[in-house]
Amino acid sequence: MLNIDHISFSYGNKQVLKDITFDVAPGEIVAIVGANGAGKTTLLRILSFVLMQDAGNVVLDGVDPLQLPVKYRKWIGYLSERCPLYEEMTVEQFLRYRLRLKGERALRERRRLTVALELCDLEDVKKSEIKLLSQGFKKRIGLADAVMLHPRLILLDDPLASLDIGHRKQIGTALTSLSAHSAVILAGHEISEMLDWCTRFIVLKDGEIEAFYRTGEFDRAELKHILTSAVSARDEEGEL
Amino acid sequence: MRALQQTWFRELWSFRGSFYSGTPVAAFLAVSGWSFVMLLRRDEGGISQLQSVWGCAVAPWLPILCSLLTMRLFAVERSSGMIELLMASPVRERDLVLGKFLSSLTLVALALFCSMIFPVFILPRISEPLRECIQPVAFMATFGILLLQSCAWCAAGTMISVLYSNQAAAAVTSLILCSGMPIVVYFGILVWIPSVRTEMAWMPLLVHVVDFSTGLFSSGVFVFYSVLSVFFLFACSKALALLRLR
Repeated sequence: MLNIDHISFSYGNKQVLKDITFDVAPGEIVAIVGANGAGKTTLLRILSFVLMQDAGNVVLDGVDPLQLPVKYRKWIGYLSERCPLYEEMTVEQFLRYRLRLKGERALRERRRLTVALELCDLEDVKKSEIKLLSQGFKKRIGLADAVMLHPRLILLDDPLASLDIGHRKQIGTALTSLSAHSAVILAGHEISEMLDWCTRFIVLKDGEIEAFYRTGEFDRAELKHILTSAVSARDEEGEL
Repeated sequence: MRALQQTWFRELWSFRGSFYSGTPVAAFLAVSGWSFVMLLRRDEGGISQLQSVWGCAVAPWLPILCSLLTMRLFAVERSSGMIELLMASPVRERDLVLGKFLSSLTLVALALFCSMIFPVFILPRISEPLRECIQPVAFMATFGILLLQSCAWCAAGTMISVLYSNQAAAAVTSLILCSGMPIVVYFGILVWIPSVRTEMAWMPLLVHVVDFSTGLFSSGVFVFYSVLSVFFLFACSKALALLRLR
């Protein structure tokens, strides 16, 4: 479904991603973990075509974003790390605007909106102005926007940040159901929660893939220990 | 097309009640009204067309209004990070650019229309001799050339706002580009060839306004402003696409 082939990217002289290669199949929920500055956000930005790679290819179901950018972007849903929203709008207005911007037909608009609001538990605040809501709600609005059109590939940058435990579990359940017809790639640091529903972990270190771990091949506690130590070791190195 | 329409309406909606749009429009109406009265006083006893006086009172303030209205279009999206979400959406860059450009142009057109209320609707009621002098077609032609000039200023401002994430920096650069460049070129020519001083007694921009308001239409002027607008809008959509390479 998604083929990432020898991706490299630099900010000026600083190489951020080096030779990243992996595939993602439909139904998979892939977590990208790593210390701060490992390149997780940059990789997701490249996959969402917000940034263009220096070398390598990204192909989603045969579509190369460099050749057919609009078609590729129609097939992805993206939640960025900062989760920007138009704060002066209400939740419903914002999601309706995003649906129309993405070209959804008017007939399906109401149904898409209802499903997304229900999925992200936003029905009670749909008439509220976004600027009055907490960061956790804003994250869920961003998530609703990303999954609203049931895209083939869902890219989520730190989706669990600012969410309470109940909503983290709810998001996990929602992503598991969405993965029935989409592939999900997410970046984050909440390893304990992600172990419950991610099918694969990719550990990034200094812009390179250090290791792949399939959830089914390891005992949960053992995998948690491996991932936590891999990520925290990088953090300590960074601090030194 | 739907993306263009949505961007256009959303931007217009965001202008509604905003300090950043209300204040420049109010200031524009105040200074253009003041300029109009000053020009009327200056020409007292002489012969001049009312629509030309209105056009010349409004035209010098248009670059400033356009710079202030367009400074936020992309600069705010860049500083808030919303630009990432827009660039990851299935929307062509040109639709985003055109939508935002049209929203600012719509507001400028509204401001122009409001500035026309006094000379067209109020002044004839105050002054009996002026009642017969109001020619709606001539006013429409003046409105047309002012709107055409606004197209160029708004397009330039939209392009500049893509280049900055700081809206104040975007406004200053747009002002320099829209107001400063014509003045520099004008005085540059005067210094270089002093003999053209009589021919260029007015700023060329005002000459265009006076020509159109008195029925001297020129396809060259129309093409000039249209090409300028298209060039800036094209550059803007390319600059937006180039943000992916940063």
